[in-house]
Amino acid sequence: MDKLPNRFAPYDDRTQPAFKVEGYKETITRVPMQGFYKRPATLTEVTGPLNLARKLDADLSDLSRAKGGGRDGKDGARAMGQLIFVTGRLLDEDGSPVRNSIIEVWHANSAGRYIHKMDAGSPFPEDPNFFGSGRCLTDHEGRYQYISIKPGAYPVPNHPQRWWRPPHIHLSIFGSGFMSRLVTQMFFPGDPLNAQDRILNSVPDPKGRERMISRPIPMMELPRADVVGFAHDIVVRGSRATPMGI
Amino acid sequence: MGKFVPTPSCTVGPFFPAHYFGPNDNDLTVTSNAAGASSKRAQGTKIYIAGTIYEADRVPRWNSIVEFWQADASGHFAHPNDPESSKADPDFMGWGRRASEDDGYYDFITVKPGGYKDPLTGLVRAPHINVSIMGSGLMRRLVTTFFFPDEPANAGDPVFNAIPDAKVRERIILKPAKFPRAPADALCYRLDIVLQGEDETPFFLD
Ligand SMILES: [Fe+3]
Repeated sequence: MDKLPNRFAPYDDRTQPAFKVEGYKETITRVPMQGFYKRPATLTEVTGPLNLARKLDADLSDLSRAKGGGRDGKDGARAMGQLIFVTGRLLDEDGSPVRNSIIEVWHANSAGRYIHKMDAGSPFPEDPNFFGSGRCLTDHEGRYQYISIKPGAYPVPNHPQRWWRPPHIHLSIFGSGFMSRLVTQMFFPGDPLNAQDRILNSVPDPKGRERMISRPIPMMELPRADVVGFAHDIVVRGSRATPMGI
Repeated sequence: MGKFVPTPSCTVGPFFPAHYFGPNDNDLTVTSNAAGASSKRAQGTKIYIAGTIYEADRVPRWNSIVEFWQADASGHFAHPNDPESSKADPDFMGWGRRASEDDGYYDFITVKPGGYKDPLTGLVRAPHINVSIMGSGLMRRLVTTFFFPDEPANAGDPVFNAIPDAKVRERIILKPAKFPRAPADALCYRLDIVLQGEDETPFFLD
């Protein structure tokens, strides 16, 4: 087995979102007020589940098909919307591939609606052929890929300061240990709504924001002719230097 | 520091798919969600941990995503960073996940983790469970650690003692309790998680 990251420095606040986001009222009542305690990193922080596919079905990499990204087989009806192909590499802070790691992918349908009871009041239509979520596994190079339909924008519900969420894809990543757990969102290049999204723009460093925006893949580099391609590398925390406290 | 910068974290939002949860995701004593899967269970003392998640003003918080990560009953991890990983229980994954219910209730079935002498620091870790909380309004996850009552090793645990105030430390010690939903053969503990307030749960820098 490869040597895995056992050093984790605290996140650099400039490259990560602020805890409190103006106009996003849930950040006011759910964020702790009393500060965070520093602790040393021990084995429990530098280990994590590596065999999650025993419990979580990781073979759901076509979200564009009816009922659950391939759950009903290859002949499931196609969801409405622009077919997209998303690929990239999962790396640690040394640039080494994070292998065999589950990536969970979920997003709104092409009209901007989620399959979730929290979205029951959405003004947008459901798509009976869009299940809204899938999972894939990174390979030996740390590469992942999935097919889906491009999500629509949707307005943030019930907020005093309303704004449109630009099209985005939610990602939940396990990495190689407890400290590399990452939940993030991927955005689309050039979308005019990106500039006004309070969530994307809560990251102070412009380079940090760029790390959440995918790049277009030229059509001739795509494995098939019916998809619009987006490349998105993801870096999770962890490096392999001498172990140190966090 | 490595040469690559971690991708920014982002809120899990309110729409984390309900169908991501398998029936055994919050039962760490089994390693599969498949019906009729092997009935082999993790070794150790079966325990049930439950409580309520609150946001500010003691308002119960539903739809929070809670994850557990812990050592097996003998204090080993099935992970190459553990020099004794070959001794880890093959029927224990150490990971579980759960969304809090409408009234803020969450619960897990697991085994009591063992303590261990930490190979990175040489320090002795008391039995503990690492807990992550994600949800709408949390741009980054929150992390804390649960400890067990009447555990002499707590006094020397470096993470427990990273919290200087004994009153605050008390808030992450599991409390013996009874729950109607608990399995009959499990030892039961309660721990409420207060995201914000006077009696806020202590969270660690992530
Ligand atoms: Fe969303």
